[in-house]
Amino acid sequence: MRDVGLQIAQVATVLFLAPLLQGVIVQWQERVQRAQGPGIFQPYRDLWKLFHKQLVVPETASFVYWIAPIVAFTCVLNVPILIPVLTNYPLPQSDMGDILGGGLILTLGSFMVTLAGLDSGSAYGGIGSSRAVLLAILAEPTLILVFVGITLLAKAMLPFVVNHLLVADPALYWSPAHLFLVAAFFILLLVETDRLPIHSSTHLEVYMIEEARILEYSGPLLALLKWAGMMKQFILYTIFCNVLLLPWGLSVQGTALGALAAAVALFAKFLFVAAAVVVVETMQSRLRYYRYQEPLAASFLLAVLAIVADQLR
Amino acid sequence: MSSESLIAVILLAPLAAVLLCLLVQHPRPAEFFNLAAAVVVFLAVLALLPHSLSGPQRLADDYLIVDALSTWGLLCVASVYLLSSIYAIGYMRRLSEDARLHRFYALFAGFALTTLSGPLMNNVGVYWIAIELTTLVSTFLVCFELGAESIEAAWKYLVIVSAGISLALLGTVLYYWAGSFALGPSYSLTWAALREVAPRLDPAIATTAFLLVTIGFGTKVGLAPMHTWLPDAHSEGPAPVSAMLSGALLNTAMIGIARFLQVSDAAGSGALPRAAVVALGAFSLFVAALFIVRQTGIKRLMAYSSVEHMGVLALGFGFGGPLGIAGALYHMLNHSLNKSLMFFGAGNAMRAYGSKRIGAIRGLPTRMPVSGWLWLAGAVAITGAPPFGLFRSELTVLRAGLRSDHAWAVYLMLVLLIVIFVGFLAHFRAMYFERAPAAAEELQSEEDIERAQPLRDFPDAWCVVPMALALIPLLALGLWWPDFFARCFAAVAANLSVGGRS
Amino acid sequence: MIATQFPPLAASLFSLMAIGSLLLAFVMLGSRWLKDYLLAFAAQSWLIALLSAAVGYYGNFPELYFIAALTALFRGVVLPWLILRIIARLKVDRELHERLSPSSSLVIGAALVLFAFVVSSHLGRTLHLEGSVAVLALTVMLSMKLIGFLMLAVRGEALSQILGILVLENGIFLGSQILVPGMPLLLELVILFDLLVIVACFGVLVRYLVTHAGVTHARALRRLVG
Repeated sequence: MRDVGLQIAQVATVLFLAPLLQGVIVQWQERVQRAQGPGIFQPYRDLWKLFHKQLVVPETASFVYWIAPIVAFTCVLNVPILIPVLTNYPLPQSDMGDILGGGLILTLGSFMVTLAGLDSGSAYGGIGSSRAVLLAILAEPTLILVFVGITLLAKAMLPFVVNHLLVADPALYWSPAHLFLVAAFFILLLVETDRLPIHSSTHLEVYMIEEARILEYSGPLLALLKWAGMMKQFILYTIFCNVLLLPWGLSVQGTALGALAAAVALFAKFLFVAAAVVVVETMQSRLRYYRYQEPLAASFLLAVLAIVADQLR
Repeated sequence: MSSESLIAVILLAPLAAVLLCLLVQHPRPAEFFNLAAAVVVFLAVLALLPHSLSGPQRLADDYLIVDALSTWGLLCVASVYLLSSIYAIGYMRRLSEDARLHRFYALFAGFALTTLSGPLMNNVGVYWIAIELTTLVSTFLVCFELGAESIEAAWKYLVIVSAGISLALLGTVLYYWAGSFALGPSYSLTWAALREVAPRLDPAIATTAFLLVTIGFGTKVGLAPMHTWLPDAHSEGPAPVSAMLSGALLNTAMIGIARFLQVSDAAGSGALPRAAVVALGAFSLFVAALFIVRQTGIKRLMAYSSVEHMGVLALGFGFGGPLGIAGALYHMLNHSLNKSLMFFGAGNAMRAYGSKRIGAIRGLPTRMPVSGWLWLAGAVAITGAPPFGLFRSELTVLRAGLRSDHAWAVYLMLVLLIVIFVGFLAHFRAMYFERAPAAAEELQSEEDIERAQPLRDFPDAWCVVPMALALIPLLALGLWWPDFFARCFAAVAANLSVGGRS
Repeated sequence: MIATQFPPLAASLFSLMAIGSLLLAFVMLGSRWLKDYLLAFAAQSWLIALLSAAVGYYGNFPELYFIAALTALFRGVVLPWLILRIIARLKVDRELHERLSPSSSLVIGAALVLFAFVVSSHLGRTLHLEGSVAVLALTVMLSMKLIGFLMLAVRGEALSQILGILVLENGIFLGSQILVPGMPLLLELVILFDLLVIVACFGVLVRYLVTHAGVTHARALRRLVG
């Protein structure tokens, strides 16, 4: 019973803390560039505003237009069940899917949004969808290779096993295989959460990928889509921190206090990663479109090296 | 004189020539120093020959080896060095580069020094270093006539050969590693040590290392498909340098492959190593045949002929056995003499007509009577016609091939030799017996790569005498197989066989 | 076999440094700017020098400290400085004429690493050396060789080709430090100095290239054909 409560608490953590993470990242970015920044709670205000706005639906929209935001939102609600967010032991239903399953569910959500971008027949939707698919073609194999690397590292496909192993065995933590996986995943994190050098959540037509896909949406549906995007970012950070980089600080016993402390620790870890992301993003400029393959090729390479290094361990 | 002192003379004479040329920066003394060193080296090598038959000697704390194979290599190098030095005097004087000529002779003597030290090296690693040094020194000889093409040739030469022999270094390291399983972590990698430990080497590593070494040193030898630097480097360098490169340097690297072949035989690696060498030789013949038939540049024609003959050498060593080794070694000497003759003739023709294209050289006998007929005799010789030496050596290699498991290569070699004979002499027929085209027609043909001024009263005696000096032994060796050589070859075959010493 | 006798901490330290060198080789493969290329090479040489010193420490080969110091000095400082001078004189900044974009060469490089890994693990299995640092050393050595050849094939700038050959030599040196640390001192010293001479020769040739051919990328050297 307590475990079920913890499971619900995991989903709730992701649901309610995701906008805060987004707000922190945007705020720090602005501050680094010596601007005022909108405040860390701005995404909450944005979501509130959007939920109270009128819904405007294009005439050419079909059922896909309606179900895509719901599917995307539901997918990102499902993934926190599978990964270690608050506790380091598996909770009920967490064996619904392993690491690869989690990745596939996230991709399903993205796929539905891509379809929605094509659905209304507008030019910008088409641009956004095709660019998003190109990025997915480049990024998905790398993501799967990284997951394979993680799996080979721990000889198991559940993220909890990886977590335990990395905590228990410092030699494994500092082995080249693990370090390369961290580097590869970091690059993928930058790409999937739309940070520079592939900043896809921009309104400039030449560069927009994400914004183009959801350009036709408004009101509550737009709020759902934006929230889903923020939650996806939160989930990727969770996987990065709790499974790979900083696997400590999770609740072992499962008490309420422990869960609360785990949530706080989680956010602290995120701040650390967010700082790194902000630094990396500020140091770079956007890449030209045909050069998007370069960081992804580097990430692919690091994943391959990690697998090779793992075999030679 | 003892072997030690002879070796010291052989190595110190060119070194002295280098130093003197650099100190006395005048062209005429530099020519003299180089020629003197060449004569001294040749005499010393002749004196060393009888010593080699009494069995391998290890000198200088096991770093130098004087056995039949290394002395034979020295003989080839020394004869080409002498002939090229004589020729260089006449040729380089006409380049109007007198200010830099002393540097040329210093580099030339240095090149001879490094090439002479190659066959003498007992330690496998030091042998590799000697080969590397030959590359470095000869690069600057190739680009001596500074121009866009020669620098391009030198660049390709340096990059391709450096990359290739780094593969040979990898093979050497793998051999050392394989040997360290049996001999401990620290030992001296001499040819003898490698051969002794060969039966205990793991076959996988031994085969891998042999293939790496063959491809690595094969780049230096000029076996196809690693030959791509050879036509450029041999055609862009001055003619004496081309003769040295073809006649002396390629042999030195081939000796290394022969010694490694012996190691792999002792390691019991099966048929793959020999098959690989035979395949490389056959492929070289094939590529050479194709490029000879359609060649337009006179020195590139000679360079591809070098590729062909290195292919024959590889076939000879690959077939193995006393016949194969005897044929290959005889071929080495004959080829050195003959190729020098051909490059000298090509240099004469180039300078006399002011062009590198075969199409621009017409009516040779009227222009250069003496050297013209000498050159034609050399052309007939180098394509393997009797009564010259190359005929005998190629026949011996063919006989060895029929006795080995690689009879297919013999048939291929026969066909390709005939193709090369026809193609090569077709060019010479055109040069000698066709009328010169009208002058206006000539000027409008495609642009010449080097439109130099044709030289009057060239070639002079300095350039013709070495050709005669090369042809006479060639004829003699074709008619008479000296008993001394037979004993030498037997000694080498014994050394290189599976149970051999050295 | 010496490689199996290292203590496990030493083996993991060697593996970390070897893989770090391989990673730097990939940085070289993926970089367009010649200065990045050169700095990665210098860092790689330093890493290999550290590896040499570590092998000397754990394997009781005191002469390897000397080799390590010389490697750091010559391969890590003198060679990059010489090449920096060439870069400065040539006023060439980056690779403009490569046949494959850096990202494609990275992917091909990864495939080459996998190939080298397959070959080395096969060799290791026949020698009963699986799981030891020798297989890793073989893998890294072979893959750096293959990556060096890839760099020579794909890149056009004269300097990139020089650095490609130096990567080839670095790979052999790395492998030899782990596999055959007992190689005679004389040999290692001479190979080191040989490298210096090679770079000096290349420097002179590049100067000739610029003066007489007017270009620095090998793609323009197409006059001699047939």
